[in-house]
Amino acid sequence: MTPMRAMVIDDSRAMRMILKRIVTKLNFEAVEAGDGKEALDLLADMTEVPDLALIDWNMPNMNGLEFVTKVRADPRLREMTLVMVTTESEQSQIVRALAAGAHEYVIKPFTEGAMIEKLALLGLVPTGANS
Amino acid sequence: MSIEVEVDESDLAEMVEQVWESYLDPEGVSPLIPTYDENQPSEVHSSVSITGSWTGHVVYASSRAAAVRAAAAFLAMDLDEVSEDDMSDTLGELANIVGGNVKAMLPPGSQLSLPQVNLTPESSARFPNTQRIGGVYGVWEGEPVSVSMWQSRIDNKEEGA
Repeated sequence: MTPMRAMVIDDSRAMRMILKRIVTKLNFEAVEAGDGKEALDLLADMTEVPDLALIDWNMPNMNGLEFVTKVRADPRLREMTLVMVTTESEQSQIVRALAAGAHEYVIKPFTEGAMIEKLALLGLVPTGANS
Repeated sequence: MSIEVEVDESDLAEMVEQVWESYLDPEGVSPLIPTYDENQPSEVHSSVSITGSWTGHVVYASSRAAAVRAAAAFLAMDLDEVSEDDMSDTLGELANIVGGNVKAMLPPGSQLSLPQVNLTPESSARFPNTQRIGGVYGVWEGEPVSVSMWQSRIDNKEEGA
């Protein structure tokens, strides 16, 4: 069976490592990008689109909201599940991200269990993967 | 225009507790123990700036040993594996997380900067025209750690005008 693939997009290497650790534990193959632009460049070179992208909001060069907007405008990337993972926790920001096309929203700080539960709700990991 | 900051020390303490639960002490065995000593020493610090309805800075400061321990916990490494880059990245992310949560408690429209990391004591920090308005001060495994908020004095002048 082909493993699921996840793209972890965050300008913080520390946060990328945390997220990568979680998705790897869930048997995803993970790739990293330091901002939205780098992520789009990587996606342009990929023959297989990742199943999931975990996206920070505040990043240099291209922020997470711009990235989500661009991904949603690209039919080739339509199937990718987009999850914002950010400290931006104002209701208005959550609404903006979801309106732009994000599927889910995780506010930092988050526990590993909370992240796994979100991914389970999206059907990307089996329910109970956290236990 | 400016408003009086709506984030108090108990809010900050709650945010700090969440950071410990999520990343630094998920097992709940080594919490940050309050000292209430705003003059406790530090060796490294990181900060984010908030501009908008409230203007100021959120500063995370600690000893170098606490910063290494934080990086080891954050990155699931052994203490002796932690590099200077690991420590800096972790310090930046800690300021970013707490600062982002502070911003979320302010009226909409504020902006959060990218984090700045300085491997120097907080006492060397230069935040012109600011005053410390509160913080959480404690020890973690015997090492000093603090998170404080610094408000721009320009805001105060405008409020009084």
